[in-house]
Amino acid sequence: MTSPSRDSGHRLLFVLLLVLCLLMAASVCFGAIDFSPAQIWRALGTLWPGHAGGTLNERIFMDIRLPRAILCVLTGAALGVGGALMQGLFRNPIVEPGLVGTSSGAAFGAAIFFVLTGMLKFTAQPWELPVAACAGGIVATYMVFVLAQNKATGRSSIVMLLLTGLAVNALFLSGVGFMAYIARDPQARSITFWNLGTLSGANWHAVTTVGLTTIGGTLLALRYAKQLNALMIGEEEAIYLGVNVNRLKWIVMTINVVIVAVATAFTGVIAFVGLVVPHILRMIKGAENRYLIIGSALVGGILLTLADLVARLALHPAELPIGIVTSVVGVPVFISLLRHREYVF
Amino acid sequence: MGRFRPLAGFLLAALLVTSCGRFGRKAASAATGPRDVVISQLYNEIIWALGAQQSVVAVDWSSTYPPAIKSVATIGYHRALSAESILSLRPTVVIEDGNVGPPQVLQQLHELGVPTKTFTHTNDTIPDLEALIREMGAFFHKEARAEELCQRLDRQMAASLEAVKQYHDSPRVAIIHYGQASNVYLTVTGHGGGDAAGAGQMIAWAGGRMAIGGRSGMQRLLSPEIVAEANPDVILMTAFGYDKLGSMAAAKTLPGVAETSAARHNRIYRVTEHQLMYLNPDTGANVLTIAKLIHQPPSQ
Amino acid sequence: MLEAIDVSYRAGGRELVHGLSARFEPGQLHLIMGPNGAGKSTFIKLLSRLLRPSGGRVVYAGRDAAEWADSELATRRAVLSQAMELAFPLSVHEVVKMGRYPHFGGRPSRHDEAICQEVMDFFDVAVLADRSYATLSGGEQQRVNFARVLAQIWEPMPQGHRYLFLDEPLTFLDIRHQLDFMKKVRAFGRAPDVVTVGVVHDLGLAARFADRLILMRDGGIAAQGPAETVLTRDLVRAVFDVEPSFVPASDGRGVHLVFD
Repeated sequence: MTSPSRDSGHRLLFVLLLVLCLLMAASVCFGAIDFSPAQIWRALGTLWPGHAGGTLNERIFMDIRLPRAILCVLTGAALGVGGALMQGLFRNPIVEPGLVGTSSGAAFGAAIFFVLTGMLKFTAQPWELPVAACAGGIVATYMVFVLAQNKATGRSSIVMLLLTGLAVNALFLSGVGFMAYIARDPQARSITFWNLGTLSGANWHAVTTVGLTTIGGTLLALRYAKQLNALMIGEEEAIYLGVNVNRLKWIVMTINVVIVAVATAFTGVIAFVGLVVPHILRMIKGAENRYLIIGSALVGGILLTLADLVARLALHPAELPIGIVTSVVGVPVFISLLRHREYVF
Repeated sequence: MGRFRPLAGFLLAALLVTSCGRFGRKAASAATGPRDVVISQLYNEIIWALGAQQSVVAVDWSSTYPPAIKSVATIGYHRALSAESILSLRPTVVIEDGNVGPPQVLQQLHELGVPTKTFTHTNDTIPDLEALIREMGAFFHKEARAEELCQRLDRQMAASLEAVKQYHDSPRVAIIHYGQASNVYLTVTGHGGGDAAGAGQMIAWAGGRMAIGGRSGMQRLLSPEIVAEANPDVILMTAFGYDKLGSMAAAKTLPGVAETSAARHNRIYRVTEHQLMYLNPDTGANVLTIAKLIHQPPSQ
Repeated sequence: MLEAIDVSYRAGGRELVHGLSARFEPGQLHLIMGPNGAGKSTFIKLLSRLLRPSGGRVVYAGRDAAEWADSELATRRAVLSQAMELAFPLSVHEVVKMGRYPHFGGRPSRHDEAICQEVMDFFDVAVLADRSYATLSGGEQQRVNFARVLAQIWEPMPQGHRYLFLDEPLTFLDIRHQLDFMKKVRAFGRAPDVVTVGVVHDLGLAARFADRLILMRDGGIAAQGPAETVLTRDLVRAVFDVEPSFVPASDGRGVHLVFD
């Protein structure tokens, strides 16, 4: 007996994929400069070997617009999957990757970077900021892991992880505040704007790095979808079903950190996506993790692409920080879904 | 493989979209002359003073002087730029003062062959500023006007300094500035620093003394201890912070201010950043303006 | 067969249970009884390997419990407790399917789906299969859990026995369903390879359905054996501090306990 629910899950994912493609097309066409289909076709033609240079427009498309559109989707996917993993791990729907220190650690790494380069007055290589942010994210999350472990049993309960995450978050966020305080005005503003997120630094290097971690991390996470399902009915129950809960926590947390920290490192802190995206999917089709993880990647990409379109078009030709837009775009979507379905926790 | 999937989707979207005529929007046609994008308040001020603004097609959000500049298109905040915004204006050169971010944006511009320019001189001192004016004059082929500006600056400086000699008092001045990034009120220390590099010098030329002792050129958070300890005779507040409060009475409610000699004698004045905080072509006249303010007899 | 050999357990500086030795034969319903704080729950958790003993051993079919791999044990040992929390929307069918998780890797086979259908029928929840678990009443939810747990050990495994543990599963059930459940569990547990051990709070039900009883008090075993030998007036009085009366059951098996 095949369950009907399984099929409509596949259908939904396919529809989401279609929507994502359409939005990507829009993202690639519109912006500070608009590209017609003919121009895009010619620009892609420069990929062929033996085809030199290209006009400025074509090179803008290939070097700036296209990587940005792809990075946008990848980052949205990373944040969405991170949110789904965290909520599954903590069995709590109001959790997002930032809660275990990843985002605040990354923000702190970036803040230190801004302040130090300002104080020591050296011009930084573009790749050094992502490294600093990633390092910060990893350190903060690792701290949460270690501090949350019960010394006697070597296990870390979900509650301990949440509480420790809160504490470490507070620590690193006040660290960011302190950095902003001692920073001179230009650096303080850099910190502020980094905290609002931006995709303007997108290049192919960012795309390949974030692509690797996001796609690889998502595929790996799918292998643990079944175990995360079991975890949904309780830690004890999961143990009875043969899940090594402690190992699962470590693995899922690590995947989450890598996915989110690397994405955050290139784009700054973009909040709210990780929180809202899994909710939207659960409202439509329930919480089964295989569907949820793939769906979160797709919807995350959709949401962020939409947000980026607004960010780039609203104040044409200037840009809005994307973090502002994700809040403004995400909330109405969330609320309208809440009102249309009965969402029982 | 992933790159080509959007193609299928967008071909569909393109059909829908070509009808709404957005592709008619002009990404600016062939350049008929220089198109400058200038990302620096100081540079813009000097360009307008030189009369070279016709070639400027866009500026950054922070460039707000002179008032005429507000009708020019802007490309965003100078530390949160995007290469595409700049490129959509088809600049022939991007002029920046080394204070732009994020760092990738400049790199992207270079990779796409867009020239950038930073002038070698800054406005730390008057001679430095004049060298900058001349340098920019040469760049924009307004050498004669640049010379005029320098001479006017020298003349006005000399006249102002002479006029200041008539004042025999040397009021102790505190400057309160509003830091928008950290959302707090700051005081400028003896050496000024950063955005306020000129403030200390301005006060000295205007015949006053900086009331708040300096650490190495930083601005310090306004606190009751600092202000009370300094007990300035005059308080100058920059425009944004003053306008946020709305009136002198409201300004007196800032921590520690009410007990100062300045507050008691109602010697709290509003100044624009242009007048006080940094050296610029109008500094010569500004010195006299500041001097008149701070030497004003106290009103009861 | 399941065996506990001189098992003890310490936590937080205290010894919760000590000197627990018992044998659990297949085909029989073993129930652990005792007043609050006697250590019943701890004992069941030690037997089901949720906890590792501080001293002594728990042995499954001749092998020490600690030697079994998680996944291996999960195919033949199922635990029904009331500790199920579900914060997310899942359908009843998805919940029951989880019982088969130890048996399939990626996707459930048609056989797994067939078993899910059988257990849902067994507990009268098949009609609820597509409903969201969270919208069910407490009793319905518990029956769905019974289905899930039994789905885990629905079929005999090639080697060794199956083990079913019940940790106070009757909360939320009305009396009709309580009796129904106990009858079904006893019927299931009659299979020659199934070892059933449970903790049931209701003295009357325990007396009515158990084949063998273990009376616990103060962290140790006060008495164990067939129901008839254990349920004497003296023992019940000693362990529970109450005065019982015995009434034979109408089917000739077991007794009813009545108290003044």
